[in-house]
Amino acid sequence: MKRVFVRMLVSMLLLAMIVPLSAFAQKKMTITLWTKEGEGEEGLGGETIYGEIVNLTKKFSQTHPGVEFEVVSYGVEDLRQNFQSAAFAGAGPDLLWTVSDHAGPFEAMKLIKPVDEVFDKAYIDKFVKPGIEAVELGGKVWGVPLNVGNHLMLIYNKNLIANPPKDTDELIKVGMELTKDLDGDGKPDQYGLVYNLNEPFFFAPWLGGFGGWPLDGTEPTLNTPAMVNALQFVQDLKFKHKIVPMECDYDAADSLFKEGKAAMIVNGDWSLSSYLTDEVKKKVDLGIARIPKVTETGLWPSPMTSGIYFMFPEYVSDDKIEVIKDFVEYVCSEEVQLMFLEAHMRLPALEEALTNPLVTNDPIIKGSSDQMVVGKPMPTVPEMRAAWDAIRPNQEAVMAGKAKPEDAAKAMQEACENLIREMKK
Amino acid sequence: MLPLTWDIMVQGLSEVVKLVLLVATVVIILEALAYLILVKWLKLKNALAFMLILPALVGVAILILYPFGFNIYLAFSNMSMYRFKEFSVGLKYGIGNLLDVFRVPVLQRVTFFQLFLRTFLWTVINVVFHVLGGLFLAILLNRPMRGKAIYRTLLVVPWAIPQVIAALAWKCEFHYQYGFVNILLEKLGFQSVQWMSDPFWAFVAVVIVNIWLGIPFMMVTILGGLQSISPDYYDAAQIDGASGWQQFRFITLPLLNPILTPAIILGVIWTFNNFNVIYLVTGGGPMEGTDILVTSLYKAVFEFYRYGFGAAYSLVIFLFLLVFSMIYLRISGGFKGAWEA
Amino acid sequence: MTHMQSQETTLPKTGFPTYSRTRRKALLKSASIHLVLIVACVIAVYPFLRVVSISLRPGVSLLSTSLALIPEGATLDNYRTLIFDKDFTIWLWNSLIVSVATVLIGLLLAATAAYAFSRWKFPGRRQGLVFLLLTQMLPPGMLLLPIYIMVVRLNLFNTYTGMIIAYSVGSVPFSIWLLKGYYDTIPKELEEAALVDGADPLITFYRIVLPLAAPALAIAGLFSFMTAWNEYMMARVMLQKASMFTWPLGFQRLRDQFTTQWGIFSAASVLVAIPVMLLFLYSSKWLISGLTLGGLKE
Repeated sequence: MKRVFVRMLVSMLLLAMIVPLSAFAQKKMTITLWTKEGEGEEGLGGETIYGEIVNLTKKFSQTHPGVEFEVVSYGVEDLRQNFQSAAFAGAGPDLLWTVSDHAGPFEAMKLIKPVDEVFDKAYIDKFVKPGIEAVELGGKVWGVPLNVGNHLMLIYNKNLIANPPKDTDELIKVGMELTKDLDGDGKPDQYGLVYNLNEPFFFAPWLGGFGGWPLDGTEPTLNTPAMVNALQFVQDLKFKHKIVPMECDYDAADSLFKEGKAAMIVNGDWSLSSYLTDEVKKKVDLGIARIPKVTETGLWPSPMTSGIYFMFPEYVSDDKIEVIKDFVEYVCSEEVQLMFLEAHMRLPALEEALTNPLVTNDPIIKGSSDQMVVGKPMPTVPEMRAAWDAIRPNQEAVMAGKAKPEDAAKAMQEACENLIREMKK
Repeated sequence: MLPLTWDIMVQGLSEVVKLVLLVATVVIILEALAYLILVKWLKLKNALAFMLILPALVGVAILILYPFGFNIYLAFSNMSMYRFKEFSVGLKYGIGNLLDVFRVPVLQRVTFFQLFLRTFLWTVINVVFHVLGGLFLAILLNRPMRGKAIYRTLLVVPWAIPQVIAALAWKCEFHYQYGFVNILLEKLGFQSVQWMSDPFWAFVAVVIVNIWLGIPFMMVTILGGLQSISPDYYDAAQIDGASGWQQFRFITLPLLNPILTPAIILGVIWTFNNFNVIYLVTGGGPMEGTDILVTSLYKAVFEFYRYGFGAAYSLVIFLFLLVFSMIYLRISGGFKGAWEA
Repeated sequence: MTHMQSQETTLPKTGFPTYSRTRRKALLKSASIHLVLIVACVIAVYPFLRVVSISLRPGVSLLSTSLALIPEGATLDNYRTLIFDKDFTIWLWNSLIVSVATVLIGLLLAATAAYAFSRWKFPGRRQGLVFLLLTQMLPPGMLLLPIYIMVVRLNLFNTYTGMIIAYSVGSVPFSIWLLKGYYDTIPKELEEAALVDGADPLITFYRIVLPLAAPALAIAGLFSFMTAWNEYMMARVMLQKASMFTWPLGFQRLRDQFTTQWGIFSAASVLVAIPVMLLFLYSSKWLISGLTLGGLKE
């Protein structure tokens, strides 16, 4: 027993010694890039977005000898929390590749530097206006857009429904026709419409369609007639018209649609490529349209548009910034943007790229950009976080049939005001 | 993608091996120093004991005391989103944070007292079922029978699966249309339950998941206790004509007590502080209906950026648990076995 | 000895009911016990089997109305993609070395300390044990930020060192409790005999007590292994290098904000659960005798 232990110890020592000391030999610049992109979705080329990023950094390193990248992928929430902790402790990434929502809190915590300090105005002007406005806070721009969109749209299965409904009355009418009990067990197993019922992001388009919006600047505007009507509408979809499932989260909606058991789904541009795979094509013939106009108001529902942005931690040294600038320009070039468009259906943020035939000719991409036109940028101010968190439990209550829309709207407003007060304390 | 090359393997391994060796060396040096000072120089009666405890104590102290102190420091600060890097520290902030714990909703709807009550319920229900379920299965297994090893192995599976995975798997089982639970309920002639939209049922769901996770630990602990009870007691009781229940009540339970008490205390602490299950299955929703103290703490700090408040809040939670455990120890006669051994 | 035989041997004492009736009753009892245990086993294993089933499914959807455990068109493609096209093997390797190192250091610290708590009645002993219990009461997440700051100041981020020290020290309190409980059951007479022969107390500990405590050491090791193997929150802030990721971190990369390739994700889940299950299987002979909490004293 003892001999074995001694032997183990000796072999461990030997191993420790053979470790090469050459690691200290050469000094290279390593740029740590944190991205929210993972390997959860495969694009049409069979590559995940994380994979694309790794490839892009490798290509960039070829033209910039000595520059190496460390690409680290975290979940969206993890990235935000990690960056907070890391920046606080003084050890963080050199570049962020993340969603526009993060600009608000990062700016408030003074963790990122304005883009105006990195790029000149002429460069920033090359991007579409809404893309830049989305991350404008206090008169400064806080991110360089990689792509815009990230918006919801009506996606339908042409095998089940030939033409998308034009307004909500028609939506309800065809929805009721398409919600069917196929196997006769008294429960529907095909639905007219599916979407992530309890998620505020999926509720936002309806709110816009009834003429409301969660924030006016930084002031919450949740207790409004528009909110009450919109809540009533989604509650009715479930309890009165019964065209959506009784309980439906993202994965359920996604599965139902892919299995051909839902005629329409409200989902985002990120999901499009997964509906175009051979496996899904057997059951789904994809069509894209705007989310139908709200009959009462005559307004188009306005999905929140946002985007994916490069952001620059405030502590990054100047020599690194120069290289980072090159990298950002490379990834935001028209060529790379079109690659993301083709493989992952992500709409480019470059003004120039948007006029490319790829955008204007492909029916699916055209449908997506057509929906984006009526979208509204998601507020980036930190107060939006409070609004989300105030809407969620009350929306859940409405969708559980446990709260009247009027009371829920009131509760939202109150909760949001409280939250903002606590956050600003 | 990144292949697992020798380089990477050796690199990781060498760091780890070096660390293990380094720690071993440090431990030996520490102990040798302590030996010289305590045994040779001070000639203390219990010198050897102190020497043996020293390395562990130093490690735990560093890892706990500094962060704990820092936490108290944060509790007296106004660190938040707008004062993230330039926060101030002062008594008034500490008092304010402390009062806020009881004064304002911790998140948006639920107040501290609601959360406390729910955490209490969560803990009691879970631990009671862990113990009862564990006891029941242990008694069934504590006999000569065929296939015992197989049963035992299968029954500890919930404990062996990483909690993240178990939680996600259960989340699917509670799915309205696709989950096994609702399908089973319907086959049995009941209505489908909206597990994830109704706060009450969501709470039931997370409790079920946690009971499932916790029974194996109790079962194994109790089985160990049962096996250490000498069969002579039962033989004697049978001669006296004691019923099965009487044997359980007057032999099994009292003799299990020394094992049950620490297991229950640990169970209470672990359940009270169990973050994973709730966070992964329901995320505290719907309507904050399944949040308990620790999940709301995490959210307050990392989602609402209330660092100062969160630090004060975490101290309050810690104190509650402390007081509770001490009271329980007093009542139950606690770790008598442990003190006196 | 089977269960039935044990019933039969008690027969003469009760005597009265006829042999066959008792036998039938015993059989019935035995059958119902088996039935209950089988149901319990199904409940224990079923959710995991469902994960296995998803991992065999072609396509990417998480949910399916089909309840069949072997899905239509079952395939090992997800496993193939995971092992050859993802960094999965690296994550497993990293998790493995981190966990093993945690076990080694944790046991090194706990084994001797627990011995001291078991054999010496020194002043502060009780307080020491309570202090260890207190460390278990700190709410998770509470020490995250300060520990991270400490790690950065010591320049230990992006190393395993900081993580392993945190994990092993974190597992020490429970290990001490567990080991102390087990040492308590080892009769002191064994060591006293050796001490009379003039052996050093430490040598006695290593020669006599430690080998006898193997079951408890195995279990304490198993617990530390599981803590390190499954830990996510700390690893998340400490590791900022893809080649250093442990599996819980890597898993997050298999998911995107809205979409996840559930087949691959499930395959990964199955593969990380298997090592732990094997460890349990391997240590099952010690599991019951080694898990002695608190001093069991008769």
